Amino acid sequence: MTMIETPPPLPVRDRATAQDRTAGALSPMLRRLAEDQATGVLVREHGTLHLAEGRVVHAESPHAPGLDVLLTAHGTLATAAWQRAAGQAEGPADAARLLLDARLLPEGALELCHLDALYDAGYFALSPSSTPGRFRYARAPRLGPLPSVPVIALERETLRRRLLLHRLWPDPATDSAPLIRADPAATAPVTPRQRAVLDRVDGVRSAPEIARNLGRQAFHTLVDVRRLAAAGLLGPVPTAPAPPPVPPAPPLTVTDPDIALLKRLRDALEAL
Amino acid sequence: MANTETALKEALTSIEGATGVALVDYTSGMALGTMGGSKSFDLNVAAAGNTDVIRSKMRTMEHLGLKGEIEDILISLSDQYHLIRLLKGRGGNGLFLYLVLDSSRANLAMARHQLKKIEEDLEV
Repeated sequence: MTMIETPPPLPVRDRATAQDRTAGALSPMLRRLAEDQATGVLVREHGTLHLAEGRVVHAESPHAPGLDVLLTAHGTLATAAWQRAAGQAEGPADAARLLLDARLLPEGALELCHLDALYDAGYFALSPSSTPGRFRYARAPRLGPLPSVPVIALERETLRRRLLLHRLWPDPATDSAPLIRADPAATAPVTPRQRAVLDRVDGVRSAPEIARNLGRQAFHTLVDVRRLAAAGLLGPVPTAPAPPPVPPAPPLTVTDPDIALLKRLRDALEAL
Repeated sequence: MANTETALKEALTSIEGATGVALVDYTSGMALGTMGGSKSFDLNVAAAGNTDVIRSKMRTMEHLGLKGEIEDILISLSDQYHLIRLLKGRGGNGLFLYLVLDSSRANLAMARHQLKKIEEDLEV
């Protein structure tokens, strides 16, 4: 599987017009929902997009750290303050509003962290999937204090990110597999940011897990990891070759001439 | 306290000669916000391309063993100035402001000072 290919468009009812409209779309379903100004939740294999009136207001993915991690990891916000707000609020958007009202968080920092988290999770949510997405309509659009982005902008950015990764190092294996340092290690210089990533490569963690551990965007870590892979400093843990099939149990009838000879010898000795 | 949009708007309206401004994440090369620009000057393309300028400069500084941090980078063309200002804060989760100026109308020292001020207002 290469990350570059867009999945073929899903069959749509109105073929003649739909084909030009959804040509090149990462998710034709998402494109149609945007055109219909739909409100609800699109659940895809690698993530979830929340839409309000056809715009993306929130995205989540198990591969990308959430807004809470990005906000608290670098001291922008105290973890306790977030937990208090999250305990009182219904969702991350409400929690964010509480924090803004309490003046615990500057508006600019919140907006940027929100956009970072949205594009980051959106990248994974829109990655090629093997199962069709599901959409659940919701009634009231939830437009919080956080900015929303047009579907087309998210799609364009996701494609640009795929191309960027491909240019850095064309092998996508390091994106999701556990990582291990190269041995012998190349002596390429690394930046402090990359050093932090490399220090967490232990043969168990994958790039998204390292991102969560560092409180960084998962896509940023994919970029660092691909650059480190290109420099020959790390790679995916080689998958163990399948164990050789267990040899079938030897048949009970013995055909080996030596054993047959030994048996006859034993029988002869016993007969003495 | 400013949000992204007001900060960008302020840069574009208050800085003499400014024709475009973008706030860019330099690891991914994504413009988190843009204002101004024109059909012939796509700020998103400029944003993505200039991340390579910053990366290259940072690498060189590292090879030289320089400990200082980049405050801003100025590129002067025959008719434009491009000013790149790296944002501090957020644990070095690198962002930069990218400002395009018309060199016949701009006051470079003043623009640099104002951009610094806008960065402080952004509080990121």
